[in-house]
Amino acid sequence: MRRNLVASFVSVVVLVFNGFLIEVSGQSLPAAAAQASPQANGSPLKLTLPLKNGSVRFVVIGDTGTGSKQQQELADVMLRYREVFPFEFVLLMGDNMYGGETPADFKKKFEIVYQKLLDDKVKFYATLGNHDESNQRFYDLFNMNGEEYYRFKKGNVAFYSLNSNYMDKRQLNWLEEQLSKDDTQWKICFFHHPPYSSGKKHGSDTKLREVVEPVFLKYGVSAVFGGHEHFYERLKPQKGIHYFISGAGGKLRSGDVNKQSPLTEKAFDADMSFMLLEVADDRLHFQVISRTGETVDSGVIVNQRKKSMSAAK
Amino acid sequence: MKQRTKKSSVFVGGLTVMLCIALSPLSISAGTLLARRRQDARGGAVAARYARAVRAFEERAEAYAKERERLEETLPKLSKESTPEQIHAHKTAFRELVRKSRAGARQGQIFDRVIAAHIRATIRSEFKGRERAKLRETVMEADTKGVPLRVNYPYPETKELLEIPPTLLLKLPQLPKQLRYRFVERNMLLVDRENGLIVDYMRNALP
Repeated sequence: MRRNLVASFVSVVVLVFNGFLIEVSGQSLPAAAAQASPQANGSPLKLTLPLKNGSVRFVVIGDTGTGSKQQQELADVMLRYREVFPFEFVLLMGDNMYGGETPADFKKKFEIVYQKLLDDKVKFYATLGNHDESNQRFYDLFNMNGEEYYRFKKGNVAFYSLNSNYMDKRQLNWLEEQLSKDDTQWKICFFHHPPYSSGKKHGSDTKLREVVEPVFLKYGVSAVFGGHEHFYERLKPQKGIHYFISGAGGKLRSGDVNKQSPLTEKAFDADMSFMLLEVADDRLHFQVISRTGETVDSGVIVNQRKKSMSAAK
Repeated sequence: MKQRTKKSSVFVGGLTVMLCIALSPLSISAGTLLARRRQDARGGAVAARYARAVRAFEERAEAYAKERERLEETLPKLSKESTPEQIHAHKTAFRELVRKSRAGARQGQIFDRVIAAHIRATIRSEFKGRERAKLRETVMEADTKGVPLRVNYPYPETKELLEIPPTLLLKLPQLPKQLRYRFVERNMLLVDRENGLIVDYMRNALP
């Protein structure tokens, strides 16, 4: 009993220390402002995101680069959702090109699939996976600025794209240096290999976690997105950080989530999927959409960093 | 008389036993110390040898990087807003330049025997037991079959570029940013990150 109390106290301290409080639900939020429902393949699209003025709206999708019919179908659903949720950009979780990187591959596996979004000036920000060559960093439409790891800012969110294929001293120093001077309210990191995962095929990348997690904790990273596993998973918050896997954008590893995993808060491995996200002030809302347009997870994360910091003063 | 002799022999025997007991830890510790010193000296010599080997390895890698930079500068620069065609053309031209320049390159010119032994030892100490088994499984299952173990040959772009565990990367000699360690089955390769050439390789890096 006493041990439980101590453990609870420690957990609360860790959360407060990290500046977060979690309010995540597995269902649609009652606060959802928009309940738009245009018809998509006969089924209505339901939006649970609040569509607040001035919010940061984006998509997270990973392991896309197949050029398959299924990748295209999922891209079509993304496009339809954009009618009700006008997202500004897309984060690619790596494995942007499977099996070759000729100009024809770039067309087939990326440009043709997302042509309409590209025409609408939706920007894609890529990270490198284990099937991606470093030269992708020069590709105009991946917006990597010629770097394997880079930072960009949208509103009150700083995004860090890391190269988890090759997390060397040089990159770790860069990350630490950047984060140490970053006072943005939300710090979000995305990279290919997930530090936590309930995948039977790969599982958690513990060696990567060993080197990056202390840095995330030290500098208050709020959320981490990864791919590599070809399914969706929302992990239980780990030391106050919210980890997501969105790696079913072009391939699916059906039934790969270990149902007994103590790490999982919610997982979906029955079909391909992507995430819609909206950051409005201290809240990060998310909604996960399957290839059939159904919502398979949704919720909100509350970042209390600003409040904690002013309270500390 | 006989009894006296017996008494003195018992006394001498007892004294010997006591002395032995008292001195034995000293003699053991003196022996251990000597052995340890010898071992330390050997260890120190090995460490110094490895330190020299690491420095020399890093210098050889740097020399490669410098040369390929010189060659790359002769090509039109890739901008950060390149098209796939420009990226492909640059990679192909760059690869050919370096291949020609290193036409006589042979295996072991960068990974010499001493550094290869050091890298094997580093991997052995970093991965033990279940972790080692898991690493082997990951490496052996990766889509790297068919990658040629040949210096100055391209790493096929259709093949997977397996993640190098970061905790290992932090312990391996640091490479210039243009070069990458890569696992292909049990072997370790040095691959140029832009032109994709296999610059050198060592066999049986994985225990």
